[in-house]
Amino acid sequence: MNPILEVKNLSVVYESSGFNALQAVDHVSFALEAGEFVGLVGESGSGKSTLGLAITRLQKSPARTNGGEIFFRGKDIRELDAETLRQQRQGGFAMVLQSGMNALNPVRTIRNHFIDIFRAHGHVGKSGWDARQIDLMEKVGLPKETLARFPGELSGGMRQRVSIALALSLEPQLMVFDEPTTALDVLVQQAIMDTIKSLQKSEGFTAVLVSHDLGVVLESTQRVLVMHEGRIVEDAPSRDILENPQDEYTRMLLSHYADPRAEVVELPGFPDRARRDTGAAARTSGATARDGRSSDSAIVVDHVSKVYPPPRRGEQAVTAVDDVSFTLEPGQSLALVGASGSGKSTIAKLITGIEKPTAGTVTFGQLDVAQLGRRQIRELHKNVQMIFQDPYSALNPLHTVEYTLTRPVVNFGGLRGPAARKRVLELLETVGLAPVEQFAAKLPHQLSGGQRQRVVIARALASNPQVLIADEPVSMLDVSLRAGVLALLEDLREQWGVSMLYITHDLLSARLVTDNIMVLNGGRVVERGNTAQVLQHPEDEYTIRLLDAVPNPARARGAAV
Amino acid sequence: MTTTQNISTAAPGVTKPPRRFTFITRSTATLWANWKSRLGLIILACFILVAIFAPLLAPYGASQDGFERNADASAAHWFGTTAAGEDVLSQLIYGSQISVAVGFIAGLLSTIVAMVIGLSWGYIRGFGADVINFIVNLFLVIPGLPLMIVIAAYLQNGGLVMIVAVIVITGWAWGARVLRAQTQTLRSRDFVTAARFSGEPAWRIVFKEILPNMTSIIAGGFFGAATSAILAEAGLEFLGLGDSSIVSWGTILYWAQNSNALLTGQWILLFAPGLCIALLALSLTLINFGVDAISNPRLREGKSR
Repeated sequence: MNPILEVKNLSVVYESSGFNALQAVDHVSFALEAGEFVGLVGESGSGKSTLGLAITRLQKSPARTNGGEIFFRGKDIRELDAETLRQQRQGGFAMVLQSGMNALNPVRTIRNHFIDIFRAHGHVGKSGWDARQIDLMEKVGLPKETLARFPGELSGGMRQRVSIALALSLEPQLMVFDEPTTALDVLVQQAIMDTIKSLQKSEGFTAVLVSHDLGVVLESTQRVLVMHEGRIVEDAPSRDILENPQDEYTRMLLSHYADPRAEVVELPGFPDRARRDTGAAARTSGATARDGRSSDSAIVVDHVSKVYPPPRRGEQAVTAVDDVSFTLEPGQSLALVGASGSGKSTIAKLITGIEKPTAGTVTFGQLDVAQLGRRQIRELHKNVQMIFQDPYSALNPLHTVEYTLTRPVVNFGGLRGPAARKRVLELLETVGLAPVEQFAAKLPHQLSGGQRQRVVIARALASNPQVLIADEPVSMLDVSLRAGVLALLEDLREQWGVSMLYITHDLLSARLVTDNIMVLNGGRVVERGNTAQVLQHPEDEYTIRLLDAVPNPARARGAAV
Repeated sequence: MTTTQNISTAAPGVTKPPRRFTFITRSTATLWANWKSRLGLIILACFILVAIFAPLLAPYGASQDGFERNADASAAHWFGTTAAGEDVLSQLIYGSQISVAVGFIAGLLSTIVAMVIGLSWGYIRGFGADVINFIVNLFLVIPGLPLMIVIAAYLQNGGLVMIVAVIVITGWAWGARVLRAQTQTLRSRDFVTAARFSGEPAWRIVFKEILPNMTSIIAGGFFGAATSAILAEAGLEFLGLGDSSIVSWGTILYWAQNSNALLTGQWILLFAPGLCIALLALSLTLINFGVDAISNPRLREGKSR
């Protein structure tokens, strides 16, 4: 059989003046058979997106192919001029982008987006436009009324479906999906992947799924290319990757998946919670136990509701949190899980005094959080600190690590000069960033995502807080870095006696680091209890749906058998 | 910043990143790499050098008269003489001092006003923001030139200080508006919230966390403000609202107009200062192309291929 796409020794380099050239894709060769569904997996910086863009000729400066050939049906696409390239988009190759849902023009209806494409290519007669549009919308599982809507009126998942429908409208033979579900909510993610899978089967196009998530890829594709540092390190059928991975790197990626429902859940460096003995100090990373100070105040959330005013006149007010009560005991770790919009981040804002509850009270020790003035909020922040979701935006790009950490030390600890610096270096050591003096002098862009998140954690610890609120602390990190950050949080909690509210949609990490769990849906608590028990024997239907949405390579094996 | 100093002495082995320095060198390199801003920098450098070395370059004094009146260009007077018998070239050279100085001082002052007002306006919420909003809108809707003329006429020949004051009063509002918009987008970033969690007071968040992230917008605003200050200064002088006894490009134009230079065939009296004003404004605008490239790295890259 003739391969539809053949890539030979392809290299792509990023060049911009004043910076070192970066070889993002390094002598990569592979071939795709017609009708195949292939996954392209790698962590951030592995060059997978660059490769995806290169094979659809969508790469932009400063990226440049500096070697190799890409044959699409026997023709080298690197030599196509702009007009031929445009024409071949119909019946040729298409791409669905990660931010595809933001690629729609906000002032044009969905129908107009289709009409633009039909006009540009003229492959559908004017009389057939309506039928074709409705047909495409049905294929991606949207009602035809959606055609008259504007992109702003659709949810993220619906917009991503629209952009898939737009790509399909040109009947491409090759579709590249670049992280099509990463920006979406867990439950929506799964639904979109199902749509892509069934479309691939029914339409028969060749598909490449670019993703950082090996679990998602193994669940849906037939063959997987694993990329690492610009090279393809493994190219094998999905089953073989799962059952008999050859490369060290693939094995490492696989080891970070586990089923949160299992009896025993372990990750590398992370023994099962139930089996872990109390002598956890054995796996410490040189953290210094603080002088007998552990948290003594509980956070009590008592029948709290938060209602936001309606987004537009005439609409309903939004109830973000609906009559939620819980107590975070000193030293306890509690997971707050739910899909986006379930109100879990709003609860974090209510606890930290950023927002005030509409009804009910939040108390920390003797403090009523809703009644605090500016100065008392500062006092609250001394004890209740926050770890942010996105380590890339949580650090000011212009300040060194030392400056960032010095500020809370000066503000809350009252230390100055060398004493403050000593404390900063201690903090860096606590979060495992050694050699400390080198890290202190670095700027955020010189650090990896995992290192940045460690700095964010160090900053949260600087005031010696009693409570840490971790808002999806690992969701932006590569799989291989997650376990490290989680282990750090766990160590800190055990040694420093900090209580932790762990907010996440990722049930696996919740299982690893928390004792108790609360499942939120639409602002209400639908299930609560011991984490291991709830996840092994979920009772609420919503919890079960969340559990089903966890990508799990092992389940793919079950389906394949 | 005594803290940092103590630290460097305490631990000499630590290399502090020379971030301020690198930022400046990198910015200058980017400006120089862009041909438009390089041209602008060269023109601007010429004007500044002429302004500094005016006493050396000018063949005669600025208001030294007694030469033949309304003379045409000659070897002794390259650009001829004025109706009062002064050397035009010398006046032009000395005049550059006023334009460059007023441009930079007024530009700087109105940028500072815009910065302070724009940043606090963008950061605070509620009643205070509404009050600032009202005041800024007031300044935006009043037409600039008439307001300038009214203020200048009211202040009556206050000299350069008055002109700078008029330009600053009428020129800060747009900058404040732009900076406020940018502050509002930055204030919702996580690192600003994180600074609040670090116990930072509001002024520190605004000026230490948010401000350094808008350096290029502020630089762009400064060059824009300096350009309009130079034009406004020349305009006011030309209308006779400034101190007509000082020598600047605006007053050269004013006196040339008064003595009907165009009718007597001395077009150079109007043309030369006009060209200087245009060139100086042009040079600043050209530099701004390069400043755009600093704030928007996409403009720095070449064409795609």
